[in-house]
Amino acid sequence: MAGHGEIWGTPETVAIYRRRNPEWRGAARELPYGEGAESLGVALRLYPAGHVLGSAQLRFEAEERSLLYTGDFKRRSCRTAAPAAAPPSTLLLIETTFGLPVFRFPPLEELEERLVAACRKAFEEEKTPVLLAYALGKAQEATLALTAHGIPTVLHGAAWKLLPEYEAAGFAFPLSRPYESGPPAPGEALIAPPICARTPVVQKIKRRSVLYLSGWAVREASRADFDADVLLPFSDHADFQELLDHVADVGPERVLTLHGYARDFARILQARGMDASPLSFPRERAGEDA
Amino acid sequence: MTAPKGASLGEGGYRLLAQTLDAVAGERGKLAKIALLSSVLSPLEGNDLVVAARLLSGSPFAEWEQTVTSAGWATVARAVAGVTGWDLETVGACALAIGDLGEAVSLLLPANSAPGLSISEADEALRGLARQRKAAEKQAAIEAMLRRCSPVEGKYLVKTLSGGLRIGADITTVEEAIALAFGRDREAVARAHRDSGDIGETARAAREGQLAEVRFRLFHPIGFMLASPIEEAAEVAGELPSFAVEDKFDGIRAHAHKAGSRVALFSRTLDDVTAQFPEIAMALALLPGSFLLDGEIVAYREGRPDSFFRLQRRLGRKAPAPELLAEIPVTFIAYDCLARDGEPLFEAPWTARREALEAAAREGGFLLSEVFRAEGLGELEALFEAARARGNEGLMLKRTDSLYQAGKRGRAWRKWKKALATFDVVVTAVEQGHGKRAGMLSDYTFAVRDGERFVNIGKAYSGLTDEEIRRLGAHFKKITVGRYGPVRAVTPEVVLEVSFDSLQKSARHKSGFALRFPRIVRLRPDKTPAEATTIEEVARLYEKRATR
Repeated sequence: MAGHGEIWGTPETVAIYRRRNPEWRGAARELPYGEGAESLGVALRLYPAGHVLGSAQLRFEAEERSLLYTGDFKRRSCRTAAPAAAPPSTLLLIETTFGLPVFRFPPLEELEERLVAACRKAFEEEKTPVLLAYALGKAQEATLALTAHGIPTVLHGAAWKLLPEYEAAGFAFPLSRPYESGPPAPGEALIAPPICARTPVVQKIKRRSVLYLSGWAVREASRADFDADVLLPFSDHADFQELLDHVADVGPERVLTLHGYARDFARILQARGMDASPLSFPRERAGEDA
Repeated sequence: MTAPKGASLGEGGYRLLAQTLDAVAGERGKLAKIALLSSVLSPLEGNDLVVAARLLSGSPFAEWEQTVTSAGWATVARAVAGVTGWDLETVGACALAIGDLGEAVSLLLPANSAPGLSISEADEALRGLARQRKAAEKQAAIEAMLRRCSPVEGKYLVKTLSGGLRIGADITTVEEAIALAFGRDREAVARAHRDSGDIGETARAAREGQLAEVRFRLFHPIGFMLASPIEEAAEVAGELPSFAVEDKFDGIRAHAHKAGSRVALFSRTLDDVTAQFPEIAMALALLPGSFLLDGEIVAYREGRPDSFFRLQRRLGRKAPAPELLAEIPVTFIAYDCLARDGEPLFEAPWTARREALEAAAREGGFLLSEVFRAEGLGELEALFEAARARGNEGLMLKRTDSLYQAGKRGRAWRKWKKALATFDVVVTAVEQGHGKRAGMLSDYTFAVRDGERFVNIGKAYSGLTDEEIRRLGAHFKKITVGRYGPVRAVTPEVVLEVSFDSLQKSARHKSGFALRFPRIVRLRPDKTPAEATTIEEVARLYEKRATR
């Protein structure tokens, strides 16, 4: 991270970047959603990506050609990020982490209901709910959902330190405290990154019910991977149908796929008659052209 | 789980079983799993109960039937493609992404509000599938079933067809659920299951209070009693006087059933391997009376056991050619007698079974494993060295007062193998080799067992003959579940024994360990993936070596 001399981003992203990289001394240019910038004859505009607070898709335009780069994105609504916009573009570079039809994520309301129910069940069994959730985005989303139902949360430091940026954006966390102030008491839920699943932070809570919040939770195997009791496919990425919808709405002449099941998703688009190829395997493309 | 007592579940019965299996998978505690299985079994009776108990234990047929649906992965995947409308490559990619074809199916199938298969329809459909011979017919039969399935039914139907439910419940769990459902003693349930070779009939007998009437029948494969490993003589110091000591033979464990002139040899995987060893079958058929012997098929030359490496060439051939029979003769070394002249001996102590074995051996026809006794650790170590000098693997120690616990691994039997450790690993991925082996699937990635999944621990390139590599290569193509460029991910079912120079911690493999210079010692067709070395055993060996 320290290598970035200059960053451009939404004000929220720049603030989060500074918080996560306190030593960083480079220049930052803040570009709110919808505001344009131009350089070397190319116009740049940022659109909501729906991934986490401040996340943006980048749209470049020059001489009637345009490129939309989604970055990590999702179209489902959530509490802290506006759903991804789909500005029409001629070339779409799309992030395909979950580019297979097995990845179908339920709507937010249903997931939050399941989350709250699983926490209440844990409390009834005199257990501490332990939510394994990524520190940026998912941890705050889960905290807000539990707060809305009156369930207090203890946050791992990685998630706790980002709260000021969320508060600046208008979100409140009245029922939360940092893990530093002590392990969870009865009636409190712990929120920690998935990487903590086998560390003392989680393991020393003897009576616990572990909830794994991730798109990967559709795999039963993640139960064993994270020593989890409850699997909740809570994701900040687009599922398969959203990927298809995004392609349809952006309406590009050509699609490049990136990350995850890039190859499979490109093949599926090709089968539907689209010009699509994975960016991760440029040599295959060259071979076809030859 | 609301069906009235004594009812058959009728329409949608299979869905209820599938939902129960899913609930069992989501529970951690064994007691909770038993309670769920018990509550779905308790209202059932008749054929529904028989079939439900089998399906809940993951096998659609009784063990003794020796029937399999034998629908390969590719056939099932094609059926899934046919029903979901996705192409085969996408289905394969989905199965690989999710880690299980059954789970992938449940995520691909649309919701289905029709009531679905009844239990007896599921039974008939699976039996029909087993009767089909052609892959295309099997595919059509599976498609017909899947079209009636909701996602959860599709999940467990495909898991059943792929040979593993993976719900963290073993056969003992189902036995205990039957005991709980009908208020019976769980030992009695386990005994009836062992003797009948059918968890379904066992459930019916439990409901009807007829467990005691279940009689052992020859020619139904029986589970094998297994030994716990020891690593040095000192571990059994206190118990030494209670143990009979025998050589541990390096062969294929088998049960030999014999009555009249009929003989059947069953392997550890409960497969009928009689046709592979005609000379053993013939020799046993000539003996008087009926019996069930436990022993080892070994290659035998000039009065002593030959290497397992040579025996391996006899394996997997339905009808070995006469030249091969002459080149690599095999024999049966018996070390236990589980039934004789109509009398089951499972619950007789080892001493009594040994007497029956010696009586059966009087006419020849098979070899008798020699029994030794060791007074002290020094003598035990001398026996170990002598066994090794005779070309055997090490020693078996058997408590002379112990009963035969079919299908269970206990401390009544111990095995003491060579000092140099080897692991039994499961192949998870294969790719083509280089140089001399270019074009052959000769590079294997392999894994050890971690609960119900497999975690990679290494990769090896050699150790097998070209012929073996070719034979296995054809098999790996059949069980390929996905491709990453040159690498084929395969269904974890082929077990290999690997040796290595040392064991290290490593972040490269999911197991957290890596083997230095792993070499394939041999194939272990006699072992199932469930018998692979576990991650706990690896960790234990690492600790042990680290403290040296």
